[in-house]
Parts: sequence; C-alpha cells; structure tokens
Amino acid sequence: MRVVFRIYREKNGKKPYFQEYTVEVDPESSVLDVIEKIALREDPSLTFNHACHHGVCGACGMVINGVERLACITKVKDVIKSGVVTVEPLKGFKVISDLYVDLSEMFRKIDVINPVSLIKTKPLVVSDLPEYISTTRVKLDDCIECGICYSACPIANSSKGYLGPAALALAFKAEKVNNDEKRVKLANSIYGVWGCHVAFECSNLCPVGYDPGSIIMRFRKQLLVKTLFSLLGRR
Amino acid sequence: MSGKVIVIGGGITGSAVAYDLSLRGMKVVLLERGSIGSGTSGRTHGLLHSGCRYIRDPQVAAECYRENMILRKIAPFLFETNGGLFVAITDEDMKYRERFLNGCEKSGVPVKEIRREEALKLEPNLNENLKAAIVVPDGTFDPLKVILSFLASAKARGAEIRPFNEVVGFVKEGDSVVGVKVWDKISEREYILKADIIVNATGAWGGKVGKLAGITVPVKPAPGVMVSLDERLVDMVINRLNPPSDGDIILSHRSTSVIGTTSWYIDDPDEVEIPKEHVERLVKRGAEMVPAVKKTRIRSVYVSSRPLIAGLREGSREVSRSFAVIDHEKEGVYGIISVIGGKFTTARLMAEKVVDLVCEKLGVEAQCRTQHEPLLKYYHYFRM
Repeated sequence: MRVVFRIYREKNGKKPYFQEYTVEVDPESSVLDVIEKIALREDPSLTFNHACHHGVCGACGMVINGVERLACITKVKDVIKSGVVTVEPLKGFKVISDLYVDLSEMFRKIDVINPVSLIKTKPLVVSDLPEYISTTRVKLDDCIECGICYSACPIANSSKGYLGPAALALAFKAEKVNNDEKRVKLANSIYGVWGCHVAFECSNLCPVGYDPGSIIMRFRKQLLVKTLFSLLGRR
Repeated sequence: MSGKVIVIGGGITGSAVAYDLSLRGMKVVLLERGSIGSGTSGRTHGLLHSGCRYIRDPQVAAECYRENMILRKIAPFLFETNGGLFVAITDEDMKYRERFLNGCEKSGVPVKEIRREEALKLEPNLNENLKAAIVVPDGTFDPLKVILSFLASAKARGAEIRPFNEVVGFVKEGDSVVGVKVWDKISEREYILKADIIVNATGAWGGKVGKLAGITVPVKPAPGVMVSLDERLVDMVINRLNPPSDGDIILSHRSTSVIGTTSWYIDDPDEVEIPKEHVERLVKRGAEMVPAVKKTRIRSVYVSSRPLIAGLREGSREVSRSFAVIDHEKEGVYGIISVIGGKFTTARLMAEKVVDLVCEKLGVEAQCRTQHEPLLKYYHYFRM
C-alpha cells in the first residue's frame, strides 16, 4: 500500500513545516516502524523518541492524524485517512527537534510527588519458595509516563504549576503504599487535584487505560474526607 | 590523572560504561545517533536472566546469576522479582530435566523443583498437563527505565549525554584515533570532539562504526522476533524446560505479555525485516506452555538484533566467554576499544571490564564501584 507520511519538522527554533514522504508499506505495520524506516533509509535527520516497540516504555507518544497515540502500537491501517498519515509532536511540550519533545517538566512533576514504580499486587499462594522470589507478587506500574495525558489535557500545559494527570494519578497510587505529607500537601492544592477541570481527555486518550481522570476524582473525595475528619477532630 | 572518554552508543552497554567511567572520576561524553535505547537494548525481551538458559556454559550462567543479584540490590525499584519457572510439557522436555538440574547446580544457580499443583496455583494460566516445574531466580524489567537509571547516575557525576548525535567519522593522528566527527541532528551541525580514549559500545552496529575507524569488530548481528500480547497472562517468567529454542519463553511487561524469541543472522542491523512465519511459530510454541496465548490479541510484533561475537581474532582480550572487550591496539590502531556480545543483564560487568582497560591504558588508578553504589531513579535523568 502506498502511503504519504506527512511529518512535522522543526529544527533550531526555525519555522516548522510538514515534510512528505511517499512510502510503500504493509498496512499492518505500526506507524513507528514506518517512521523508523523513513529515518533509516530516506532521511536520517528525522528525530523521534522510541525504545520498546510494544507500548510499555512510553517513549513514542505522538499526535497521529490529530490524535495522541503511541506510534508503536498504532497500525497504519487503523489511522490512515485518504492515503495520508500526519504525524506531529505531542502538544504543549517544547519541541527540541522534529517529533522529539522535552518531557523534563513532566518528569520533574512526577519526581516531586515521589512515585512508587513497583506495585504489590497479591500475596504469594505457595510457601517455602526460594528467598529470591518476592513475598508478594509485584508489578511495574501501568502508567508509562508517555506524556499523552499532558498533551491531551486542556490545562496541564497552560497552567504552569499544575501537576497534571499522570503525576496526580501516580501520587494517589503511591499514597496507598506509603504516606508522604509533602505529596499529600501538593496534591491537595490548586496545583493538585483541585486544579483539574474534569475534561477527562487524559482518560479518553491514555494508551494503557490508566484512567487518570477517575483517579483524580477519587483522590479529591479521599482528600475531602480527610480534611473533614481533621476539622471535626479539631472541634 | 583523569582522562576524557567518548562513549559511542546509548544502549545499556554504553550507558553502563558511561556510568562506570564517571564513578571512577573520568570526563565522559556519550554519543547516540538516535534516542536513548532506540537500538537493541530498548526492545529486548526485558528478562533479568537467572543464568538457567545458559547452563551449557556454567561460567556464563554463574556470571548472569551474579549480575542479576547485583542489579536487584543497586536498583530494587526497577525489577519485578516474581521469579521464573522452567516447565516440562512433553516427555521430550522431561529428558532434559536431569541435565537442567545438574547444570544449575554446577553453575551455582539456586533452583527449586515444585509440584505440578503448586505451579498451577502460582500461575493458573499454565498448561495444566505440565509434567515438571522448577523455580528459578528470573526477573523482568522495562529496558528503557534501566538505561535511564544508569544514565541519570552518570549525569549526576558529570557525564554528558548527547542523543541524536551520530558519529560519522573518526579523527586520526598517525595510528591513533584521537577524536570523532559528530553530526548533531538537533542543531544540524557537524563538529569534532577529541578524547584520550573512545569506546565503541554500539553493539550490533559495532562493525559499521568500526569500519569508519578502520578497525575490525567481529560482531554478528543476530535478530530475534518477539510477539507482544494484550494481557498479562503470567507474573513469573515461564521458560520451556528444554535447551534454548524458538518460542520457549513468555514473560510480562506491566499489563502485557511477550513471547520470545527466534534467532538468525544478518549483515546490517538497519535492514532487518520480521519474517511472518516467526510470528506464527512463536504463538504456537508459546501456547504449548500458556494455552491462553492463542486467545489473546497480538499487540505488536518487534525485532531486536543481538550483538553476537563472530569469533575473535588472535590477540583479542576475551574477558568472558559471553562478551569481549577488544583493544584495537592489537591490529595497530590506538585509542579505541570495542565491546561486543553480552546480555542486557550482564551490562554492568561488561562496563566494569571496559573501564578496567580504559584505566589501565590511561594510567588511572580507580576501583570499580558500580556493584555497590545504588542507582538513581530513571526520572532523575530529566533533572539536569
């Protein structure tokens, strides 16, 4: 299948433009595989982030035909419109070069809430296993910190101090594991859960179904109850 | 004295080398032609090897096990330590059982055979007709996060990390390589960077990069296909009780599972295509261990090229049977070292041996400390 890839190009703060590459592709290929081939065979100056190629590392978030997606698990045949696939960088982040954006602001926000990357899921049901086996089942958290929720959120990138969907959702999960007063204070502020405008775009577009929107709502409820109890306790 | 070292390659090996160099007080610049982890490392299977897949060579198996335990200790937040199982499905598999248990014992890898009922309790998705199950110290990880943790730790000690900076040539003075010519794809300029020593840690691309420097790097790119599925079917790493073969391993990444892998040889890792029949074979073989594989949607199929050693030239310094650190002085080219072979799990050890040689050549006296120092969190990479 002949497809036109229209790819956003921006270098050195110069005026951005779209570059078109006409490529012969298997419609089953992922958008990422096609971009990688273009970079390898036609244009090595094209820069983009990628690593795992199966949707678990969060490196390849991009806007594909107008929608935020992970390029590695998005098939060409599922997004192509009139023979064209348009690829742009995530919105709201500073573009460093082409599709490669600066995620450091988001990671700084994730950093300050002190996340827990390894989640305990269930107890071990068999005893007397060697000690190198974790005594509870563990799982790397589902949030892959790809930045798609920040790109999709109407305020994450315009309201400067807002922690944003992923950081708040991760804060809620972390709070279940260990209590961190600094984390709670940050979350319980206009920069935290009270800054959310409840648009739910984060949950709509999250590629792993993490549903940060609902988590933020649950977090609000929990923080309200906590505040209420502390007020009652004081009286 | 302290030296200035250029590391080429932003995969796990280059990152571990940059970290070790920075810990031993050297000035480091790491150059990567793409994004961090965009070559082989980022798309590995994500298996923290117990060593049990390499019991044919007890030395290699023991090395894997040792590194596995070191990584868990220096970065516990990066690894799912739910362990692994080797399962026998057929009578043919059972014939390997004795040899496997003996091999593990000889390699010093602690394993434990459990009853069929216990295995099914631990992993309800396993084929219920399994005939034997042995618990091993396997684990899993997200490769990019491990690489970023090494790089964050290197950056915190002054290393400079430059993604999208491709080495397009070398600067030579007589028989010595004294620098590299770099194409910076971000600022669209070419520049020269000089160093006391250059480390070629480009893995499967080692031969291509080596050619630019006029050196021979005996690397044989050996791709393997992996099939990723939409559900987390297992917590433990499930291996087939058999000598390593196609489709003999299933593990989970977050809420997905990955079946691995196949193996063949190619000349150029930039020209690898996924053979369609490999996908069918992986699903079929995978379903023999975990029948639910057949009913689970395929999420994506990907391929990663291992940097296997093609047979070393005379005079090469073979520091381990699983990887090689090559001082190109032996072929008359000074100032450049290559590292090939190895596994993601053993990258820390590979880096230790590379940096030992760098220190020896530069007259730097500094002990390796990477086996003791805790790694920084991956998101600290973005701090600086």
